[in-house]
Amino acid sequence: MQPILRRSLYAVILLAGLVWIFVSADKTNSATAGRIPAPQKGFLAPEFKLETSNGQTIALSNYRGKGVLVNLWATWCPPCRAEMPTIEKLYQEYQNQGLIVLGVNSTVQDDPTAIAPFVKQYSITFPILLDVNGEASNLYELRSLPTSFFIGRDGVIKEVVVGGPMAEALVRANIEEIIK
Amino acid sequence: MNILSLFQNIFAPPRDLILIILAAWIGLTLSEQRAPRHHVNLNTLSNLLLVSLAGFIIGGRVLYALENLAIFSQSPASLFSLNTSLFDQWGGIIIAVITAFIYGQRVRLPLWHSLDALTPLFAALAIGIAFSHLASGAAFGKETNVPWAIDQWSARRHPTQVYEIFASSLTLGLILIQKPTAKPGYEFLLFVALTSASRLIIEGFRGDSTLILGGLRAAQIVAWFILLIALIGLDYQKRSNQENE
Repeated sequence: MQPILRRSLYAVILLAGLVWIFVSADKTNSATAGRIPAPQKGFLAPEFKLETSNGQTIALSNYRGKGVLVNLWATWCPPCRAEMPTIEKLYQEYQNQGLIVLGVNSTVQDDPTAIAPFVKQYSITFPILLDVNGEASNLYELRSLPTSFFIGRDGVIKEVVVGGPMAEALVRANIEEIIK
Repeated sequence: MNILSLFQNIFAPPRDLILIILAAWIGLTLSEQRAPRHHVNLNTLSNLLLVSLAGFIIGGRVLYALENLAIFSQSPASLFSLNTSLFDQWGGIIIAVITAFIYGQRVRLPLWHSLDALTPLFAALAIGIAFSHLASGAAFGKETNVPWAIDQWSARRHPTQVYEIFASSLTLGLILIQKPTAKPGYEFLLFVALTSASRLIIEGFRGDSTLILGGLRAAQIVAWFILLIALIGLDYQKRSNQENE
């Protein structure tokens, strides 16, 4: 190819690129992240309402305005067991600064009789919700246990951590982000 | 359950890393096969990759810890955690590049020849990353009604991850059919030009872009400048080749 033709082609490519940048600009900020509920970083946390083992009903929306850590777990899951003491420790440390922890037990795939001994063994003080029908698991598209959703005061998911056990620094860094 | 759901269930995070590792293995094999045509010693190339991989892993973790020094000082054991989230990806890449550059200088590896030899690895990695995006739902598209839209994050969206897979596969294909050229660096610059051009196009369909200056997508602007540099480099090479002939 002749140099003049080659350079003309390159110029056309660059010009077309510039045109595309302006044509595809999102002038109305139409991104749906932050506006519609979805279990992904940047989206509103999907609403759920579940019962605790004491029969109390808790809705996620009750805690709008606080930083919420939703931790999906099961008693048979070794990494869930391994990260529980860290979550409890940091809940104690940060609850006065506006942190709520909701431990959502995936009861649909767990032994309900094992939950109370588990809570006692790990001295868990934050609310444990029972996902008996898998409602929350489906809403949050649960594919691996444990999975943790760090939700900011505005109700938007700031971080999703799939798998575990989470290191203390990871939990602490995300908690400090959501209670800002 | 459709094929996409099945794929996403099998390779849900953190299993999506398998896709990147698999792509790295294929890319490495291709790079090793093509190293002799770029006059690069295989052992030296392997050592370069090992050194830069170590730089990536250690650098990414250490930089993340430095950015969160107060937190890590309260739980220093977390420095050795297996959590991949405790990682500064861009910091890791920068440290890997610096480490590779220093090592390359020490063993006198020719820069452009080495970059050409490594280009199939970079191109294969881009495919692996695109597949991992599809598995995790990251880098998702904006809402649309096109017939090929996919259901993702509560809406019908452009399958930008699939666009990524097509574009990066095409890039790898074009790299692999290149004949040896007189001027070193051509394959690498071609890869950079194709990758930045495809990012420039695909970013326009993304639903998670960082917006600046009244709605312009930041990644497109960066990609345009990288494309400009790559095209200038390619033009310079063609001109040198023609002068030599």
